[in-house]
Amino acid sequence: MSLEAEADGGQVGGQVSRGQEVEPLTFSRRERRQLRRQLGWVEQTLAGVTEAIERAVFTEEHARRPGWLQGLDPRIKIGMFMVTVLAASLSHSLLVLLLLYGLLLLVARASLLPFDFFVRRVWLGIPFFAGVVILPSIFFTSGGPRLFELDLGPLHLGPTPASLLGAAVFVMRVGDAVSLAVLLILTTRWADLLKSLQILHVPQIFILLLSMTYRYIFLFLHTVNGFFEARKSRTVGFTSGGEQRAWIVTALVTLMNRSFQMSNEVYAAMCARGFTGTIRTYSDYRLRSGDVLALLGAALLAIGLFFLGRVLL
Amino acid sequence: MHIPDGYLSPVFSLGSGVVTIPAWAVATHKVRDVLNRRTVPLMAIFSALSFTIMMFNVPVPGGTTAHGVGGTLIAIVLGPWAAMLCVSVALIIQALFFGDGGILAIFANCLNMGVILPFVGYYTYRVIAGRSPVLSTRRIWAAAIGSYVGITAAALAVGIELGLQPVLFQQNGHPLYSPYPLGVAIPAMLLSHAFGASLVEALITALGFAYIQKQHPALLTALREVVSGGDVPTGEAQALPLWRIFALAVPLALVLLFIAGLITGGGRLDHLFGADWSQVSWPDVGIMLLIVLGIAVVLLPLTWLLLPARLKRVGTFFMALAIFAPLGLIAPGFAFGEGSPEDVQQAFGYIPQGLRDLNGLWNAPLSGYTINADFFTAPNAPLWHAALGYEISGIIGILLLVLVVSGLMLLIRRLTGRGGGEAEVSGKPAQPREGAL
Repeated sequence: MSLEAEADGGQVGGQVSRGQEVEPLTFSRRERRQLRRQLGWVEQTLAGVTEAIERAVFTEEHARRPGWLQGLDPRIKIGMFMVTVLAASLSHSLLVLLLLYGLLLLVARASLLPFDFFVRRVWLGIPFFAGVVILPSIFFTSGGPRLFELDLGPLHLGPTPASLLGAAVFVMRVGDAVSLAVLLILTTRWADLLKSLQILHVPQIFILLLSMTYRYIFLFLHTVNGFFEARKSRTVGFTSGGEQRAWIVTALVTLMNRSFQMSNEVYAAMCARGFTGTIRTYSDYRLRSGDVLALLGAALLAIGLFFLGRVLL
Repeated sequence: MHIPDGYLSPVFSLGSGVVTIPAWAVATHKVRDVLNRRTVPLMAIFSALSFTIMMFNVPVPGGTTAHGVGGTLIAIVLGPWAAMLCVSVALIIQALFFGDGGILAIFANCLNMGVILPFVGYYTYRVIAGRSPVLSTRRIWAAAIGSYVGITAAALAVGIELGLQPVLFQQNGHPLYSPYPLGVAIPAMLLSHAFGASLVEALITALGFAYIQKQHPALLTALREVVSGGDVPTGEAQALPLWRIFALAVPLALVLLFIAGLITGGGRLDHLFGADWSQVSWPDVGIMLLIVLGIAVVLLPLTWLLLPARLKRVGTFFMALAIFAPLGLIAPGFAFGEGSPEDVQQAFGYIPQGLRDLNGLWNAPLSGYTINADFFTAPNAPLWHAALGYEISGIIGILLLVLVVSGLMLLIRRLTGRGGGEAEVSGKPAQPREGAL
């Protein structure tokens, strides 16, 4: 659609002159929709970029607090995370999963994480999505007595106790797994988290790759933020969808071209500082008795939960 | 497309590492052989780029936005092995530091988006591009189709992985993880991508590739120059004329249709699409086609001229649909999803109870998509009579729909107060700038 055709209805911008009644700036519904179309994608991208930066800053902030998990060795934390997330994933008992979640809330408290944030971040995000995904399977079930029946023409729908329990277990398990990941992420600085990947036998080159990538992500986010802010502040009037897509592709390829140049410069800088291709890291982590006890506790907890699940079923 | 933890069985999640980890190992060696010490900075920066591309919201026709992945574009520029590392590293960082996608599910997510997507995308691109010069238009099409196929293949993989869960992991007949069987998970993933995300990805890749060709052609040859140490023939940018695109696309579409028909018809030439074509009387069809064409020649330009500018394209499109709809009458048998209970009984041998109950609730004046007059429905009437009835009922249906919708719109506008009055976007009245004058 042409721009002229779109700009015909409603009043845009009051004429301002001294001593006259000023007409308010009004938009018709179509223009409002147009405006949203003009800037919606820009604002969504900006929001995404901001959220990513905010999350990273937030994580660093919480990882520096003097809580219980923050004080543990990062390698131990990875081990604890792995055994508990495995136990949660293998568990098919709602009771066990609820018990684990209660424990996680206690641990979050002990690690000085803001309570409402921890709960909100976990339950408003992925598990809510999981709940929506699981919903149809509660009703489309075969076998077993139904709690109530919905007749929609030829379809007979209704939840059975088993399907309800299955859905609850599914949502709870996703909730536990996400809570565990959030605990790990929020209480560990990324540099520590990366170094501790060595105990999982991740090759050095990958760890170097990950750490450099993480560093450059923020540079790129900053650049993209600049691109989109500039676009937003310079957008006047209406442009077509084709123009918007052309712009976004230009931004993308410009970023790609910059990446090439930057990689050359970074390589030159690395060579100048004596990079020969071999990677050396230093680590001064020392295990303390508290760390070992925590790992043992987590392992015992995982085993306990596993067998408790078997007994309860 | 990021699978969170809890959807897949941990055995399955970690088990997919059997494919992903060797793929990473091979990729690391391949890339190191080519790039030597330059691997680390180049890969790291392109991983960051891949992460950033996934944040871009792309405006889509219709007013919504969608995300791109950009895996195929990176694969075209860096090669599939390097692209695999870059996208995987970006995905790992998303999972480890931003909580996007599960941590146990890292292997599965990297398999789908990090391995399958760039590989399928890149090799589809290569097959279509052939030996054409780097700057040719054919490569733009190849990039678009490659990225479309690549991301659709990744979606298919996600569908298969989710669909395998209830088959592999269940207890007393109740699924333990993602509950939907293959028959639900695969079509859901495939359809939602084939008509949505994949189209966006193809569009972005094609536009991006064209822009690279025009502004930064070095990106398409630089790496190969590093590898081969020599020069790469770039060729000239040449636009493919429109007639040639159609000359390529139409036979291709016909061949695809023919193959699909052969497959659904069990390989028999006279049973394409499962219909018995020997029953069709072709002279009748010829007359019908002639009449339909005649109607189209008169009505389509008329519609185009009469409609207001806003509705010209949409209106003419629907009119064309209504006019050419009777072509479906040629096929013996019944249109999918439109059959009457008798058709269903003929096909399946019985009538489902629910269908029998529901049918006949309302006797439509245009039932069977034709008009209840002897001229149109008499059993011996020539085919074009039926076609004409079909057409008229189609046009009446569209007009009715337009009337109902515009009536509703009018009603809504009345109810919400004349439509144009409210100002919410910028509700504040502009301040008089007296000081400035």
